[in-house]
Amino acid sequence: MSWVGRSIRRVEDPTLLCGAGMFVGDIGGAAAVRFVRSPVASGLIRAVRGPAYTIADLDADGVGNIEAVLHRPDYVRLAQPLLARERVRYVGEPVAVVVGATAAEAEDLAEQVELDIETLPAAVGLEAALAPGAPLVHPDEAESNVMLAGEMATPELAEALERAHTIVELEITSGRQAALPLEARGSHAVTERFGGRTTLHASIQAPHMIRTVICDLLGMPEADLRVVAPDVGGAFGQKLPLAREDAIVVWLSRRLGRPVAWIEDRSENLMASWHSREQRYRLRAGFNAEAHLEALQADVAANVGAWPCYPITWGVEPLMALAELPGPYTLEHYGVRSRGVASHTCPMSPYRGVSRPVITLALERLMDIAAARLGVDPVEIRRRNLQSDFPHISPTGLRHDEGTYREAMELAVSHVDLRAFRARQHAARAAGGPQPGIGICTFSERTGYGTPAFAARAMGVTPGFENVELSMDPSGYVTLRIGASPHGQGLETALSQITADELGTDPSRVRVVASDTDRTPYGWGSFASRAMVLAGGATYLAAQKLATQLGSLAAEVLEAAADDIVLADGRATVVGTSVGIEIAELARIAHHHTQRLPAGAMPGLAAQAGYDPAGTFSNACHVAEVEVDPDTGGVSMRRFVVVEDAGRLINPMIADGQIRGGVAQGIANALLEEVVYDDDGNILTTSLMDYLPPTVAEIPDIEILHLETASDATITGAKGLGEGGTIGAPAAVLNAVNDALAHLGVELNEMPATPERVRAAVRAAAGRSPAGENDRSTQEAPVR
Amino acid sequence: MKPARFAYTAPDTVEGTLDALDRFGDEAKVLSGGQSLVPMMNFRLARPEVIVDIGRVGGLDGMSAANGTLTVGARVIHARLEAPAVIKPDGRSESLGGVLGSLLPAVARYVGHLPIRVRGTFGGSIAHADPAAEWCILARTLDAEMVALRRGGERAIPAADFFETVFTTALAPEELLVAVRLPILGDDWRAGFCEFSRRAGDFAVVAAMTAVRLEPATGAIAEARVGVGGVAGVPVRLGGAEATLVGETPGAELHAAAAEMAAGEVDPVGDLHGSAAYRRDLVRAMVARALAQGAGASG
Ligand SMILES: Cc1cc2nc3c(=O)[nH]c(=O)nc-3n(C[C@H](O)[C@H](O)[C@H](O)COP(=O)(O)OP(=O)(O)OC[C@H]3O[C@@H](n4cnc5c(N)ncnc54)[C@H](O)[C@@H]3O)c2cc1C
Repeated sequence: MSWVGRSIRRVEDPTLLCGAGMFVGDIGGAAAVRFVRSPVASGLIRAVRGPAYTIADLDADGVGNIEAVLHRPDYVRLAQPLLARERVRYVGEPVAVVVGATAAEAEDLAEQVELDIETLPAAVGLEAALAPGAPLVHPDEAESNVMLAGEMATPELAEALERAHTIVELEITSGRQAALPLEARGSHAVTERFGGRTTLHASIQAPHMIRTVICDLLGMPEADLRVVAPDVGGAFGQKLPLAREDAIVVWLSRRLGRPVAWIEDRSENLMASWHSREQRYRLRAGFNAEAHLEALQADVAANVGAWPCYPITWGVEPLMALAELPGPYTLEHYGVRSRGVASHTCPMSPYRGVSRPVITLALERLMDIAAARLGVDPVEIRRRNLQSDFPHISPTGLRHDEGTYREAMELAVSHVDLRAFRARQHAARAAGGPQPGIGICTFSERTGYGTPAFAARAMGVTPGFENVELSMDPSGYVTLRIGASPHGQGLETALSQITADELGTDPSRVRVVASDTDRTPYGWGSFASRAMVLAGGATYLAAQKLATQLGSLAAEVLEAAADDIVLADGRATVVGTSVGIEIAELARIAHHHTQRLPAGAMPGLAAQAGYDPAGTFSNACHVAEVEVDPDTGGVSMRRFVVVEDAGRLINPMIADGQIRGGVAQGIANALLEEVVYDDDGNILTTSLMDYLPPTVAEIPDIEILHLETASDATITGAKGLGEGGTIGAPAAVLNAVNDALAHLGVELNEMPATPERVRAAVRAAAGRSPAGENDRSTQEAPVR
Repeated sequence: MKPARFAYTAPDTVEGTLDALDRFGDEAKVLSGGQSLVPMMNFRLARPEVIVDIGRVGGLDGMSAANGTLTVGARVIHARLEAPAVIKPDGRSESLGGVLGSLLPAVARYVGHLPIRVRGTFGGSIAHADPAAEWCILARTLDAEMVALRRGGERAIPAADFFETVFTTALAPEELLVAVRLPILGDDWRAGFCEFSRRAGDFAVVAAMTAVRLEPATGAIAEARVGVGGVAGVPVRLGGAEATLVGETPGAELHAAAAEMAAGEVDPVGDLHGSAAYRRDLVRAMVARALAQGAGASG
C-alpha cells in the first residue's frame, strides 16, 4: 500500500495546534532591539541625536552594503546601506537602532532619538514617479526612476494587430498589497563568549541564503554563523529577501556580546517590511472573427519602491510579467515593455503569486471583455483560446508541459451549473436589489523550477537545486535533512510519505530536519511553489539509494538476490516467500555488525541526493460567485470553486489546504486589502483597522476538485501548487463583480474592488447611460 | 507597540474610584473593558499617567427597567445586550421585551467580534465616543441620558450635549459614567438599524438608526428620529429627514424621500474608508433600509 496519495494527518499540527510552537518571539532572554524609522518619504539626514547606533557605527565596523544584482544592461545597480545613509527614501526606512532591556524600554529609547531630516519632495504613485521632472529616488545613480525596462516583441506583431478583426484595449491596475504573515518578522542572535560563534534565529524562508549574505555583509566566515528558522508563522514571500534588520541584529549581538532580539510589530510590518503588486497593465489585443486571440501588445509598469530586495532584485515583478503574460492561451504574436519604477515607498518583495495575480487579472478581464464585444460566451472564448497541444511553447519561449486547461474549465463550469445560475441571475435583475454575478478564471502556474529557469533571470546569485541527506539510525528510524525550509506548508508530512513508500516503512518513523544551517545541507528554501517538487524529488532519489543499500544488505543476510528483495510494511522480504527480516534489524546490523555487510559496503545507512528540474506548469480553473449591492458597492462572496491540476498529489488534504489559504488571500486581494499612501508618501494603512485582511465571515466555503495529469516534467509526477489559489482568485472575483453589474453597463478593472470603487463604477455607468442618476462630480474613472 | 509607563490602581468601590479620579484629574484614565483604551495605549496614542481600573467595582453592571426607562450600568458588557434581561424588584431576571428589547440585540451583534463583546462594555463605548460606534448612535438617536458621578455630585447629561467631538465627551476628568438611561419605546414605535462595514465586526463606515412613533388612529408618523454615525465627529441626528417623515404614512416612497433628504443634509469628511460622496451614498442606502426594517417589523 502506498503512503503517497493519502491524506494522512500532518505531523506538524499537534505542536502548532497545542500552542507548543517555538517562534522567534518565544526564545526570550535577549535585550530588545528597536529601529528608529524615517517619518518622511524623502529627505536629507542632517543629524541623528540620541542613544542610538547609526550608519556611522556600521561603517566604522566595516559592514558592507547590500548589492542585489541583475546582469542586464538596463538594470541600475545600487549599493544599499543597512541603515539609511545621508538620505531617507520611504516612510519606515530604518535610520537608527536602539537596544533596551525590554520592548517597552526600547520604545522609550527610540522616542528619545531625534531625527533631523530636511524633507524633500517625494514621488509616490506610479504615475507621479514616471512623470517628467519627478523627484528622483536615486538621483546620484539614475537619471529617472525607471530602474529596469525589459522589452521584447515577436517579429510579426504589428502586422497581426493590423489585420485583427477586433481590437480590445484595456487598462488594469492593482493596488499595493502586503503579504501579512500572522507572525511578523523577527530575529534573535546570541554570540558565544568563547569562540565567538553566533546563532541567529530568524523568521525567514531561506536560512542558507540568508547566512551567506549576512556573512558577506559582516565579513565573517559562514562557519561562524548558524542560522535557524524556528517555527515561522507564515511568510508568503515576505520573508524570502534579506531583512536589513536581521543583519543588524547579528552585528549588534557580536558588537555588544549579549543576546539581542528584534520582534517586528504589526505597524512596522505593514509600513516597512515589504509590499507587493502595485502594477498597471495596458493591453492592446487583436482577436480574429472567431474570437481567437492573435496578438497582444502590453505595457506594464510596476512600482517597485525605494530599494531592490536581495537576492531577487526589483526585477522580479516586472520581469515575471514580461515573461508570463501570455498565460495559458495559444497566443502567437506578443510584444511587451515592462518597467520597474522606483518611488519613495516601501520596497517590494515577491508575494505569493508575485505578478501572476495581476497578469491573470489582466488576461481574464481581457477574455471577458472580448467575449462580450464579440458576442461569444465567456466559456466559449476560453475554449477557443486555451492551450491543448503539449508541449506548448509560449511566445517568450516557456515550455508548457502536459496540462488540462480546457478540461479543468469544463469540469468547473459543469460543477457550478452555469445554466441554473443564469436563471437566478435573470430573476434577480428583474427584482432589483443585490445582484448575483459569476466569474471564471483559467490560468497556469509555473512551478518547481530549478537552476536553468533562475539562471535566465541573470541574478547575482542563481537559486535552484535542492539537496537532501537521508539516514537510517540503528533503531530503524529515518532522518531526512533538507535544504528547503518549510514553514507551515506540511512539507515534512509529504516528504515522510515519499520516504516511507521507498523504504517500506511508516511515515511515523521518518523525522524531517529543516531550517537549520548546522544540521541541513545547503539549499534554497521554500518559495516559488518549489519545495514539493525540488525537495520531494531529491527525497525520492535519496530514498531510492537508501532502499538499494537496505536491499543489498537484506540480500546478504537472507542469502537471496538483491533484485528479489521487497521493502514493505517495515520488513525486507524475498519476493514470493515469507522469508524476511525487520528493517529495524537490518539497521542494527548496518551499524553494530558491520562484519556482516556486503563486501565494500560503507558502514551505516545513509544517502544523499539533489534535484534540479527545468520546471513545470500546473493549471487550474477558478469560479467565483458573488452578490453585489449596487447601492453600497458591497460585494459578498457566495461560492468559490477550484478545479486544480497539480499532477500527482502526494497528500491531497495538504494540497487542499494550500489552495484554500491561497484563495482566501486572493479574495482579500480582490476585495479588501490595499496599502495606501497619501501624495506626500505618508502611509495610511499601518494597523489592521485600515489594512483589511478578511475574517472567516468574508471567505466562503471553497469547493475543490482535482485532476491529476501525469507529467514527466518532475520525477515524482508532482507539480507545485502553493501560489495558485492567490493567482486565480482575484480575476475570478473581479469577473464575477463585473458580471453582476454588466446589465448596468459597469466595467471595473481595478483591484481591490473596494465598495467605494464598485459604487463609483455604478455611478459612472449610470452617468454614461441616458437615464443616469446623481451627480457625476465625485466619480472616479477607473475604467477605460 | 508597548504602552508608555503608567501607574495602576484598581479600587473596589465607586467611592474609591471617584477619590482616585478626583486626585489624579486629567492624568487618569478609567479602564473598563480595555477594548479601545488598551490598543490606543499600545499605539501610544493614549498616555495616561494613571490607570483607574473599574473592573472590581461592584454595582456597575446592572440593568433595570422602571417608568418607561431602561437603565444600563456602565460595566454591562456588549454581549449581554445580545439578549437583554432586566432584574425585577422581586430579584428575578426577565428578558426585556418590546421595541427596545428587539432593537438592542439587533444592534449588539454589529459591535466587534465575540471576544470584544464579552470584554468591552456599554459604558466604555459611550465614554470612548467613537462617532461610528453603534451604542453612541443608539444613545443619540433615542435621546439617552448619561449618568455621571463625581465626588459629591451626580448629573444626567442628555445625549445631545454629551458627544462633543471625536473621542471627546462632556464628562469631566473627575467624573465616572455609571449608567445610561434609554427610553423603552412603546408599542407604537417602529425602530430599525442598518450598517455598512468593510468586514464583519468592523466599525461602521456608515450606520443609521431610525425610530418613528405612529399615530394609532391614522398610522401616520407622529414623531421621527433619524440618527447616523460615520459622517461627522459625533453621531448626528438628521432633522430634515425627521421632518420629511412626520405627518406622513410609512412606505417605500416616503422612505426614499427621507433617505434622499438625509443624504443631502449630512456633510461628511472623507477618509481612507470612504470619500464624502461615497458616505453620502451610504447614508441614503442605510437610512432607507433602516426605515424599511422598522416598517417591516410592524407587519
Ligand atoms: C477589533 C475591534 C473591533 C471593534 N469593533 C467595534 C464596533 O464595531 N463597534 C463599536 O462600537 N466598538 C467596537 N470596538 C470597540 C469596543 O466596542 C470597545 O469595547 C468600546 O469602544 C470601549 O469599551 P471598553 O469597555 O472596552 O472601554 P475601555 O477601552 O476600557 O475605555 C474606553 C474609553 O472610555 C473611558 N471609560 C470607560 N469606562 C468609563 C466610565 N465608566 N466612565 C468614564 N470613562 C470611561 C476610558 O477611560 C477610555 O477612554 C472594537 C474593538 C476592537 C478591538
